[in-house]
Amino acid sequence: MTTLDPVEVFRQEASDLFEALEGALLDLGSRPDDRELIDTAFRALHTIKGSGAMFGFDKVAAFTHEFETAFDQVRKGEISVSKDLISVALSAKDYIRALIEAPEGTDSIIGDAILDELRRFVAPAAAVVPAEAPSAAAAAAVAPTAAAARSRGWQLHIEFDRDVLRNGSNPLDYLDDLRKLGTAFATARTEDVPLLDELEPELCFLKWDVTLNSDCDRAAIDDVFMFVQDEMVLSCEPLTDAGAEVETAIEAPAPVIAAPPLAPSAPEAAAPLRPEPEKPAAAPAKSKGDEQRRFDDKGLATVRVQAQRLDELMDRVGELVIAQARLSQLAATTDDISIKAIAEEIERLAAGLRDTTMGARMVPIGSLFGRFRRLVHDLSRDLGKPVDFVTSGEDTELDKTMIERLADPLVHLIRNAIDHGIEDTASRAAAGKTEIGRIEIAAIHSGAQVLVTVRDNGAGLNAARIRAKAEEQGLIQPGAVLSDDDVHQLLFQPGFSTAQTISTLSGRGVGMDVVKRTIDAMRGSIDISTQPGRGTTVTLRLPLTLAIIEGLLIRVGEGRYIIPLAAVEECAELSAEEERVRGRDFLNMRGDLVPFLRLRDLFDVAGQPDRHQKIIIASSGETRVGLIADQIIGSHQSVIKSLSKLHSDVTMFSGATILGDGSAALILDVAQLLAIGANVGDGKHLNEAA
Amino acid sequence: MDQIVETRPRAEAESEQMQVVMLGIGDEVFALNTMLVREIIDPVPATRVAGARPYLPCVVNVRGNVIPLADLRSRFGMAKTAATADTRIVVLEIEIDRDPVLVGVVADKVHEVTQISRADAQPTPRVGMRWNPEFISFITKWRDEFVIVPNMERILS
Repeated sequence: MTTLDPVEVFRQEASDLFEALEGALLDLGSRPDDRELIDTAFRALHTIKGSGAMFGFDKVAAFTHEFETAFDQVRKGEISVSKDLISVALSAKDYIRALIEAPEGTDSIIGDAILDELRRFVAPAAAVVPAEAPSAAAAAAVAPTAAAARSRGWQLHIEFDRDVLRNGSNPLDYLDDLRKLGTAFATARTEDVPLLDELEPELCFLKWDVTLNSDCDRAAIDDVFMFVQDEMVLSCEPLTDAGAEVETAIEAPAPVIAAPPLAPSAPEAAAPLRPEPEKPAAAPAKSKGDEQRRFDDKGLATVRVQAQRLDELMDRVGELVIAQARLSQLAATTDDISIKAIAEEIERLAAGLRDTTMGARMVPIGSLFGRFRRLVHDLSRDLGKPVDFVTSGEDTELDKTMIERLADPLVHLIRNAIDHGIEDTASRAAAGKTEIGRIEIAAIHSGAQVLVTVRDNGAGLNAARIRAKAEEQGLIQPGAVLSDDDVHQLLFQPGFSTAQTISTLSGRGVGMDVVKRTIDAMRGSIDISTQPGRGTTVTLRLPLTLAIIEGLLIRVGEGRYIIPLAAVEECAELSAEEERVRGRDFLNMRGDLVPFLRLRDLFDVAGQPDRHQKIIIASSGETRVGLIADQIIGSHQSVIKSLSKLHSDVTMFSGATILGDGSAALILDVAQLLAIGANVGDGKHLNEAA
Repeated sequence: MDQIVETRPRAEAESEQMQVVMLGIGDEVFALNTMLVREIIDPVPATRVAGARPYLPCVVNVRGNVIPLADLRSRFGMAKTAATADTRIVVLEIEIDRDPVLVGVVADKVHEVTQISRADAQPTPRVGMRWNPEFISFITKWRDEFVIVPNMERILS
């Protein structure tokens, strides 16, 4: 387990690169002229090619090379970025990904087809290049001084970071590349090379001065060093006239003279033999600063950890928190000050450890949003509905297991928003809306919850149509009295669909019930609000983490139970008057009728209830239920333990936790209790009707 | 102190020998394969689970895991008795739908770990049994006493 398979490492690295590449390509769609993005995409491609070849993914390297060649023209500005080009580039990216992940399952025909298409975009570029040249000449005519400076050449000082070799870069290759720009004369500077016994063979101590005779511009030189630009100091000065003359004078023999220093083995082999006692004092300080910067840049400060190890850590911490609670309880009963002090110390440490561990499991939701951009891009193309996709709150952090489980529900919601929500271009124009639809996905913290919203500015839900369909499918009685919210919740019934025609994307009625089930399983809830003609907003309310909840500890008879605090709206004492009216199952909470459940009856507790019964109002969305308990003990940090498979028939409890004294307490399943409460409500309606 | 029972598979196949823990429950002696037994602990406070099946009435905390506590008495139609100084919880790991599941079983007394032989197995009588024959793997003899080798998977599912 400790030995990492290098191929696996490459796959992981590649998957990060794909993300960067896809992000850049999609961003290019909206900002086609952004050099930065083009460079990012190009760099990602280049690294995939390089690493792919290194790890024996030859097909990947070959294909990526072609892709890169085509994309190079974009980088040089010879062809402009178009929507179609991005689409092809995305499918090329998918193909490379397939090559890496399932090499057997890919067909080279697909690859060839993609390349052909890419080349179609690239081919016209050849015609464009000459067209550009005259314009450059025109520019030269306008600004002769600039053109002159360009033609003379450059004096370069190249200083690589010491550990540039460790990252697999060979400085000599770059010098060779420079030679392709024009005749170059390079001198190695050896003043930093230390004494032989101080010499670290893996470090690069050499610097180079290069006189480059070329009419290239500065950007061309930067391009040569594109992949090492973070690891080097490059100074570029245009050659002065005098210098140029000197250079011109030696232009003919230059390649010959240049050859020895640029010969691959020469400088490195020679370097150790030329000790240089003095090191410039400034050098170490600067390299330190560079190192710091590199740390930040390349994310070396982060470590990949297997998710399973994080889970184990969380389990251990959960047990520690429980053991610590027992210690605190024990310490409270003793008079020994030193034990009390240790107990307090451990309490503080355990709490800190718990928060840190939870923090380590938190992942910004932006990583998930990134995936949807592609989905929206593809859907909007396939459906012919132009859509702007806007995300916000990418930094909002959620437990990593929740992020994973959120992916599918959000895909369904986004699909629905584009397929059903956003109207086609003609209808939008007729309704006086902008032609381009808008899908917003946002995440914000709200107390102990995270709200994830998917909003579209489409047609909104048609309550009448949903009703009609539900009646037709027998989900509701014709003429039943339903609030708008009830009607919207019908969407989450299995098999429910209002789409008139079944498209490839939606309309089969699978999906929304899956969304509902997944969110329920995460102890979250879904709210829908809609404005006809203006759009629909679906809000998912989710707890921050699945592992630990803030709970309210209550006592019913002898047993202690936990109610998730997020579901608790308020607590009150049951008035003597309400207590007396045994037959009634409703409370008057400031004018609202709230059904209530006597937990003693529900749990079948023998004996007499306490004199002052407490009522806890639990809610989810709009529905509320009152729970009557003997005592409210207080808040409790509950490490959630799932119930055994043998207890899968138990419905009233969603899990268990361990209390300070080491005994187990059950966690009430508020959704179930609400359902039971709703039945009480229905019973009431029937009674009234009768 | 908890008595930890080592689960040592003695090359069982060779002679149909089986290492078992002898448990006294009510008037009967049950022999449980040591392969199933994870540990034997002193009684801990149990938490009643409302709405659960009668033979799985409680959960207990065993080393940070909340596991169900099975009541074999109710499965074998015996009367309930209060815990004594000899009462123990035997923690078993059984397979339910191919997933390992931990479950505790209350024993009035844990006798000893011993070997029994399948060769001594008595056929389970079809008549005159108070119990569901499905719950019993086989019956064998140990010190001139009949002992029951229960089928825990059947009893609990």
